[in-house]
Order: sequence, then C-alpha cells, then structure tokens
Amino acid sequence: MEPTRSDRVSSFLRCFAVQGSWNYRTLVAGGLANAMLPLLRRIYAGDPVRLEAAVSRHLEPFNAHPYLCAMAVTALARLEATEVSPEKITRFRTALRAPLGAVGDELVWAGWRPFCALLAIVLFALEGSPWVATLFFLLLYNVGHVYLRGWAFWRGWSAGFDVGRALQEAPWNGATRWLTVLNAFLVGAAVVLVAWRTPGTALLRWEVVLALVAAAAVGYVRPGLGERVAATLLIAAPVLLLLLGG
Amino acid sequence: MVSRGCCGPLSELDVSVGLWAVLVVVGAALGLDAASWPQVMISRPIVAATIGGALLGDASSGFLVGAILELLGLGHTPYGAAVYPETGPASLVAGAGLAASGDSGLGPLLLAVACGWIIGWVGAATVRLQRRINGYLVASLAAAAPYRLERRHRMAMTIDALRAGALTAAFAVPVMILVKLVSRLPTGGAALPVASAVLLVAVALAGGVGVRVMGGRRTAPLLFGAGGAAAALLILLTG
Repeated sequence: MEPTRSDRVSSFLRCFAVQGSWNYRTLVAGGLANAMLPLLRRIYAGDPVRLEAAVSRHLEPFNAHPYLCAMAVTALARLEATEVSPEKITRFRTALRAPLGAVGDELVWAGWRPFCALLAIVLFALEGSPWVATLFFLLLYNVGHVYLRGWAFWRGWSAGFDVGRALQEAPWNGATRWLTVLNAFLVGAAVVLVAWRTPGTALLRWEVVLALVAAAAVGYVRPGLGERVAATLLIAAPVLLLLLGG
Repeated sequence: MVSRGCCGPLSELDVSVGLWAVLVVVGAALGLDAASWPQVMISRPIVAATIGGALLGDASSGFLVGAILELLGLGHTPYGAAVYPETGPASLVAGAGLAASGDSGLGPLLLAVACGWIIGWVGAATVRLQRRINGYLVASLAAAAPYRLERRHRMAMTIDALRAGALTAAFAVPVMILVKLVSRLPTGGAALPVASAVLLVAVALAGGVGVRVMGGRRTAPLLFGAGGAAAALLILLTG
C-alpha cells in the first residue's frame, strides 16, 4: 500500500531525530528505521511479520550524513513498497552509505555551517549586535538545512534506485567549491576581527601580525600539531596572565 | 544557590536557584540539538554562549566567547564517528561565566574561553559513554517490534538531554565563581599584551587548521591572507 501524505510528513519530521540513538554498533541505523516506520507501517499494513522483517533489515549498521539520511529513508521505503527482494535492498542500502556520507559532510559540515558561522562573526565584529549576528546565523543556516533535508526526502522517494544520479544532478552541486573558497577568505577575516574585538590586544604591532601569520601557516601545514599547540596555548593564556600580572 | 551575603567578591555573584535551573534546562536543549534533535545549530558556540551571556545580562561578552570557541573548533568536524568537543552546554556555561563576572576584560575572557574548551572535551567523553549506552538500547533489538524501537529511540534522546543538563548543572556555578574570582585579581602591566597574543596565536593556529580541514586547496593560504588583510584594512579605515 502506498504511504499517504500524513505518513510522509510524519516520516519527514522523524528525520530531524535521525541521530537520536546513534551508537558505535549500528551507527545511525536506529534513527533510520525509526524515521522509516510511518512509511513501513503503511506499506506492510496488516502484515506484522513482514513489517518486523523490514524493521530488522533497517536496523543493520548504517551511516550517512544526518541531513541526507532523509534520502535513504525514502529511497529504501520506495524499494520496500515496490517489493524489491530483501537481498537487493540490503545491497543498495550498503551502497548508499559512502555517497550520502561524503557529499553531506563536505557540503554541510565543511562548507555551509562554517560559512554561516564565519559570516555571523564578521557581522558581529562590524555591526556590534550579538542578537543580529546570532539570528542571522540561525536563519541563514536553517534555510539551507531545512531545504537540504526536504530536497533529500522528496527526491529520495522519486529516485528509488537512482539516488546516485539524483545526487549528481542536485541543484546545490558546485556550491561546495565556492564555499571552500569563501570560507578560507572568511576565516582570515574572522581571526583578525576577533583579535580586534579582544580586549587588551595590540593587533597592529608588527610582531603580533607576524606571529598570527606564522601560527596560521603552521596550523595549515601541520593540522595535527596545530590543534595540540592551540589547545596548550589556550590553557596557558590565563595562567600566564595571572603569573605575570600578579 | 543564592550566594548573595557570602564573602568577598562572591557576594556579588547573583545567581538564584531559578536562574541555575533555567541554565540547566537550556543546557539540556543545547546538548540535544548537537546530534539527537533537531540539529538547528542552537548548540553552536556563537549561539549557546550568547544565550548564556544574555541570561546573565551580557549577550555581547557571550558572543565574543562564542566567536573564539567557534574559531578554535573549526578543525573539529563531526565526520562519521569522529570525536570532537561538545559545544552546546560548554559554550553556554562559558558565556554565562563571563557575563556573571560583570567584567569583560582580558583575564575573565581568557578563563571563560579555557573553561569552555575544557568542558567541551568533558562533554565529548560523556557523549562517547552515551553512545555506548545507545548501543545496548538499540543495537540489541534484533527482531524488532516497531513500538519497542520507537520507545528505545525516545529513551536514548531523553538520556542525551539528561546528560547535557547534568553537565551544565555540574559546571555552571563553579565556572561563574572561578571567573568572578579571576576578575578580582590584579592582571595589568606587561601581562596583558603577552596573554592576549598567546590567545590570538591559538586562534590563528586553529584558523589555519580549519582552512586545511574544510578542504584546503592550493589557493587557500592566499585567500586566508587576503581575508585577514581585508579585515585589517577595514579596521584601519573605520578606526
């Protein structure tokens, strides 16, 4: 039986909690199965044995970017509805993991989220209002967030097995490259502007500027070392202030 | 929890049980947002620290703490099962701590940021523990009755909220007291530029890491430099 509009809305809303039971054994599978339930209940209405078999199938380990998981939810439900064999569904499910993870991680975690946050930091430094910057961030980020979840959910149902092609033809393709470029520029601007806003900073002294450039270069070339040194300096800074100032 | 009437600088720390409870509830919501539900990013440092600051009367100081924590966390992306500092409750507590001190000088700021970073990693450890518990809750459902799956999924989310609330409850008041105490210590002279430079070097290091992790291309260092130069020019022009 075909899922109704209310089943789809219910499933879509559950996609927002897809990582609610994330664990190291089955990863996001619990959330995936939970989000599929409204659709599976309709598809297997009156057949509890097949419904439980389908739920068990989708509780097998699975992982993907949480926003693009919505695409797996509907694409897999579509295959369940069209009575594709369980073996094919399982193979397709395994094949979905890598692209839905890689595309989402690059687009959202490395692109969209830092872009919105960096823009908000620049806005705060220039404009001065924390609320304008915070609301700007939340609004901008969530326009992209909800659009991506919605696109993934509705496109997944129409794509079925063709998820790969749907991802290739996605309207946001190409955005990742531009976000990478813009983010590199914005990080530089945000570091300087935050330095300007930090009390007690002699930002325009040449030795401070030189130290910032050298530090950024070390962080870029040796990210592992950069992270450790940054954490150490962060803890050292207040201690230094107390020791030297006391 | 009302410390009014206590001793020394702590007598000025005006935190009622009601405000502490509000912080705990907000901390729980922020912790839940990071991964479980609904991921609208109220858990990001710039939002969480601003809320913390606003609850204690200084949203601007909260945002500055959040901005520094945001830049420091640029290199920590939640790819797959990666371990990264938990930002929501930690930034809330850090922002509230600085605002409660009533002093937005460098000393309290440095301490609030350091506390936010450390609590973030404590939070990460609690998230790892929570995910192990989730494994027992959900992964043990082999032949799953749908209603059991739904119930355990909700249970996992409830545990996540309780975990984040407990983290906030444990650290909120100690951080406020610590930052307040530091705001009363003498921190002048040559120490100020040295300590601020150390903080900024840490931020610049994290910025470099962030550019690399976000997909650094050959032009990324140039773009990073151009962004910094453009901001510096803007500061010079606008005074």
